[in-house]
Amino acid sequence: MDHKTAAEWFSSYVDGDIPDVDRRALEQHLGICIQCRTELEAFRRTVGGLSALRRQAPETFLPQIQKQIFVRSKGRFFGRRWLLFGRIPFEWVSLAMIIAMLLYYIATLHGSPTGVAPAP
Amino acid sequence: MEATIRLGRTARMVRARSGIRVPFEMTVAERLLIARLKDRDEQAFNEVVRLNGDKVFSLVYRMIGNRAEAEDLAQEVFVTVFKTVDTFRGESKFSTWLLRIAANHCKNRIKYLSRRRTDGGGLDNMAEEHMADAGRAPVQAHIDSPDVLLEAAEMEKLMQAAIGLLEEDHRLLIVLRDVEELSYEEIGEVTGLAEGTIKSRLHRARMEIKEYLAKRTR
Repeated sequence: MDHKTAAEWFSSYVDGDIPDVDRRALEQHLGICIQCRTELEAFRRTVGGLSALRRQAPETFLPQIQKQIFVRSKGRFFGRRWLLFGRIPFEWVSLAMIIAMLLYYIATLHGSPTGVAPAP
Repeated sequence: MEATIRLGRTARMVRARSGIRVPFEMTVAERLLIARLKDRDEQAFNEVVRLNGDKVFSLVYRMIGNRAEAEDLAQEVFVTVFKTVDTFRGESKFSTWLLRIAANHCKNRIKYLSRRRTDGGGLDNMAEEHMADAGRAPVQAHIDSPDVLLEAAEMEKLMQAAIGLLEEDHRLLIVLRDVEELSYEEIGEVTGLAEGTIKSRLHRARMEIKEYLAKRTR
């Protein structure tokens, strides 16, 4: 195996994704070639260093996104909420109106003893 | 019954080997989260950002190399997710779908920024900005010794500069594989590339970075 062929196997070797036959041939070459051993070491350091480049999102990340969505949806999402009930959905408003109408009807029913309003 | 399961598995393996994408099977929790997200449930969206925010920000930051741009773009990715989640058909992992959106946003932003630079739009000092950004948070944040801290920050600067010099496709592969530590299958889902192509391009990219570092650290 020459240096060039050995170098071509570095990625697979470091990832542990190399066929057994090629791994044995590469390791045999590495055993006798100090240049390739040094190169492989540098290659390993590079790949290892890259994995340390991960970053965390800033603290304000989520609130900023919520703000963007709020603005773009013209307040439809991520707006201010009612403390107890959250956003009031349409169904709840309808239900409240039906109950109010029912109460009004019952109240007027009790207003006239026969349950029928006298003709004017 | 057992024979049916075995046949199903064999069919999946054959399809996978022949390059046909096998539909991804989501967990129940994932399915529920996405269903809630499709109903525009704000809590579900917060959960998605909590689970994937760091990953997306990290990808965008390493692709763009500028912290302010990265923050802006990563936010844009999640706004897009919120808007277009209905188009997610569950054929891949949700996280890879999300990273695909992030990768596309990055490509567009890189094009836009390079146009602005050639137009003299005021981003000529971007390399210096990268350096300043890199200096703010060193590679190994847990190290206390100032010397080691400085060395780690220096190495991060060099690595970011090396990544910035790569071709856009190579850069994406490096970030997905070596920074985000995705599997080759997941990278295939994000990029749409075959495994062999990913491996050969990734190897070239790693070699380029190694050469760059060797020249600068001699």
